[in-house]
Order: sequence, then C-alpha cells, then structure tokens
Amino acid sequence: MSAPIDKILPTLGQVLARAHMRLILFAVLMAGVTLTVTGVLVIRGYADRNLALIAHSVAYTVEPALIFDDMDAARSGIAAVAASESVHRVDVRAPDGRELATWRRPGGGIMTMIEGGIANLVAPSPAIVDVRRSGRLIARVSVHGGAEGLGRFILSGLATAIACLVLTLIATWTLARRLQRDVTDPLGRIADVAHAVRANRQFDRRAPHSDIREVDQLGRDFNALLEELNDWHSGVLSHNRMLEQQATRDALTGLGNRAMFERALPATIAQADALNLPFAIVYLDVNRFKPVNDTYGHDAGDAMLIVIAARLRAGLRSGDQAFRLGGDEFALILAPGVGPEELDAVKARIADGMRQPIMLPGGESVDGSLSIGSARYPQDSADARDLLRHADAAMYAAKGRRAGSRE
Amino acid sequence: MRSLFFTLLLLLPTVALAVPTAQPAMLPLGTGADANAVGTARMVGAMLEYTRWPTARPVVRLCLAGNARHAGRLADISLSNGAQLQLSSLNGPAAARSEGCDALYIGRLDAAPMQGLIAGTRGQPVLTITEDDPDCRSGAIFCLLYAPQTLSFQLNIDAVSRSAVRIDPRVLRLSKGGY
Repeated sequence: MSAPIDKILPTLGQVLARAHMRLILFAVLMAGVTLTVTGVLVIRGYADRNLALIAHSVAYTVEPALIFDDMDAARSGIAAVAASESVHRVDVRAPDGRELATWRRPGGGIMTMIEGGIANLVAPSPAIVDVRRSGRLIARVSVHGGAEGLGRFILSGLATAIACLVLTLIATWTLARRLQRDVTDPLGRIADVAHAVRANRQFDRRAPHSDIREVDQLGRDFNALLEELNDWHSGVLSHNRMLEQQATRDALTGLGNRAMFERALPATIAQADALNLPFAIVYLDVNRFKPVNDTYGHDAGDAMLIVIAARLRAGLRSGDQAFRLGGDEFALILAPGVGPEELDAVKARIADGMRQPIMLPGGESVDGSLSIGSARYPQDSADARDLLRHADAAMYAAKGRRAGSRE
Repeated sequence: MRSLFFTLLLLLPTVALAVPTAQPAMLPLGTGADANAVGTARMVGAMLEYTRWPTARPVVRLCLAGNARHAGRLADISLSNGAQLQLSSLNGPAAARSEGCDALYIGRLDAAPMQGLIAGTRGQPVLTITEDDPDCRSGAIFCLLYAPQTLSFQLNIDAVSRSAVRIDPRVLRLSKGGY
C-alpha cells in the first residue's frame, strides 16, 4: 500500500530542495541576465566610441603620409595607433575604392577568435572615418574589431553565471541537507512512530524532541494523543477481555460454557493430531439436581452446582479443561497424552470426590453423585461430533445402569 | 573603458610626434623624362599643405632662387585649401632678398649666397626648401633628398623654430632621420 505511494509522491525534502533550486536559479538568472545586458549595452557604447576614436586617430596620423604619398609611413602610422588597441584590421582606401594601405593584426589565439566572434555578434559594424584635407576627401579609413573587451565581458559573464549556478547547486544541496536534518528527519521520526503504532500497536513509542517549535509542538501533541490512544486502547482491551470472558465463561461456576467447549474441542483435536497423542472427553450429569432444585429452590441448586464445579476442578490434572454445558450437564477435556488407565483414574477420582454429601445454604446435605460417560480420541472416534455422541451415549448408559441398580 | 578613452584623447596629439617606428618619407618617383620634376612638385605641394603662415595666404608666393634643376613642374601644384600659387624667380639684384615671398625654393647656389638668403628669412614667415643640400646644413627648413627611385626630405627643426611659419608636427615623422 505505501510502497507505490512512496514511488510517486516526492518527499518533503525533495519538494523544499526543488523550490529552493527554482528560487535561487531564478534569482541568479535574473541578476545575471540583467547585469550582462546592461554591461553589454554600456560596453558596446564605449566600444563604438573607442573604435571611432581609433579611426579618427588613424585618419589624423596617416593624413600627411597620404599627402606625401608615402604608404610605408602610412602603414607604420596605422600600426603605431592600432597595435596597442583591440583592432583586427585597418583599411585605408582612396575615394575611388583603391586600397592605399592596410594593416592586419597578426593572428591571435583561439580565444581571441572566439571573443572577436562574440563581439561581432553584438557590435559588428566597422568604424569608418574620412580623411579630409581642407574639405577635400583624400581617403577613407575603416577600422574593424575593437570589441574584444565586449567578447571578454560576455565570456566572463557566462563563466560567472556557470560558477554561480555551481554555487547555487552547492547551496541548495546544503540547504536541503539542513532542512533534512532540521525538518524532514523529525517529521520522518514522527511518521515512523505513527507507522509503528498503526502497524504493530507499539503504544509505548514516543516522538523525539525537535529544535523547531512547530515540529516540536507537533511531536508533543502527537505524544499526548498517543498517551490517550494508549489508555483508550488498554480500556478497549480490558473491556474486550471482559466481554470475552462473559461470552465464554459460565457466570455461576466460572467454568467454560458450551461456546467455549465447542471452540476448545477442535483445538484439542488439532493439538492431539499434531502431537500424535490420544485424548479423551468426559460427560457428566448431576443425578439429583432436579429434585434438589424442586425441593429446596434454585438457590440451593445453584449452590450445589458451584460445589460440584469446584470439586471437578480439583480432580483435574494441569492442562485439562472443565465446562458447564448448561443446566446440570458438565464436560471435561483431558489434555492429549491421556491413556485408558489414566482416564479411568480421573473418572474414579471425580466419582470419589463426589461421594461426600453437599451442604446446602439451608443446612441440608444432599447427594452430589454424577453420571459419567467418556469417549477417547481417536480410539472411539476420530470425528468430533461422533466423539460427543459416543460420550453422551456412555453417560446415559451409566445413568441407566445407576437407575437399574437402584430399582 | 573610460580610462582607455582618456588615454586615447591624450594620445591623439602626441601620436604624430612620439611614434618610434618613424621612417623618412619615400616618395616613389615615376618614370619618364621629368619624373623628378613631377615628384618634386608633388612633395613641395605637400610641404606647402602642412605649412601655416601667421595669417592665411590666399595666394602663396613661391620664389625660386639659384639654379633649380627639378622645379619645372612646380606650376602644377594646386593646394587643397584653394589658395593660388604664384611663382616668381629671384634673380639679379633681388637674388639675396626674400621680401614678398611666402616660400623659397632654392636650387644650386654657392654656400655664401645661400646662407645669406636663408639668414634673411630668419624670423620671417617664409618657408625655405633647398633642392641641392643633401646634408641640410644651409639652415633651410626642408631639404629635398633625391635617390634613384625615390624622393625624400629632411626637416631642420632648428630652422622651424627660428622661422615664423609653423610646420604641422606630423610632418616631422616623415622627415629623414625622424623626430
């Protein structure tokens, strides 16, 4: 029942960890994206101006060299300006498009290419500046690149974001562990106690203390509830025991009643079969019960039955059981392992015990003799019903013999 | 980023002066009979371009002195600011004076008259260019240097400081020897 639910439902710790994860992830992403976008915009603005400034510088530097028609000087001028800047390429073209001088940065590493590529995605356009002499267009300078700072910023932003994510994971994990320790584990212990109580009726288990007020309160209330439940449970148990006793005991004599006898017989048969031992049942009937009842009243009859029951019990070995089946009828189940001689000895002992007259409350003494019939399992019968019939018949036979001997 | 910006601003005027990899201007000379003359005209024009007189000259008076061998095409010079070029020769009695000249193109001349001529321009707004002074000892501002295929020049910074004309500092970088 609980196994599939465990599989489907997430634990409290998981839910909390997931919520924290989402929260922190959201915060990091928001902060990262906002900072990166703002930074990119600002740096792009600076990069554009920087590039334009470099272009202006190049134009200013190469102008006399162009006028003097000296391209080597122009190139060295470009190199002097551009080499220390983040510039990839500088082209100087005549107004008709003819290339006058060009400069390329010597190949950088792969990181430079990546940074340049990223920078071109964000700020791709080259800065173009005209070289003019008194208003006349001499040449046009175009400067490419100049945004490595931007690429570097974006790359470092990404690296920072990843680092933040790793930190987030670690933080979430730590948080989840702390939650596990502070919240989930105490709750889990309470749940364990609840489960133990429900499944195994272990009412002595108690939820432990917790450092969190609510959880501790829950534990206390749960323990108090358990206390009440324990009281209630023991009350129910004793009540049940009482009811069972009422249902299975004969109220007058304290012996087992017919219902108990009918339950005890199959149990004894099963026990005898398991041990492969014989046992016996004995039926007993009070010979002079009805005359006593009629002559001296029901109180006298009851007193007689109580005395007979006490005498029966005294004649039994340990393990044997005595029952009052109703009226003046009694039955015994002799525990497995009883042989024919022992059966006869028990019967003789009981008959012997009844020989002494019974004193009634009114001071009269009456004869308490019994008619006794027995049946042995499995010798007489291996069937319960048949066994009873056998014992009953034997008892009536004994009664008949007695009546016959009287006459 | 901001500091870069300011650095560039500071850099801008000094770039022309402070660039260490300066090379002398090497004007490639074309082919043909008057290749030297064409190159000379072009270079003199460029020099005039970067020269500032105390007051703007709507007409630049270029005087020729001595025996100039490559001055044949100087009349072709056109200045980008629209100023006209007026050529004249300083010969005869006026040979040692430079009044009425904004620029002086000096060809082959004996040392003494040349120095006299140039000394006369001291403190005056006159640009002096010598054609035949490879060592540049005459005290002229510009000295043209002819090589088989190229034409370059040397700028005499002392002469510039003595003169009333101002030369664009970027031109220093193009001068032979550099500054």
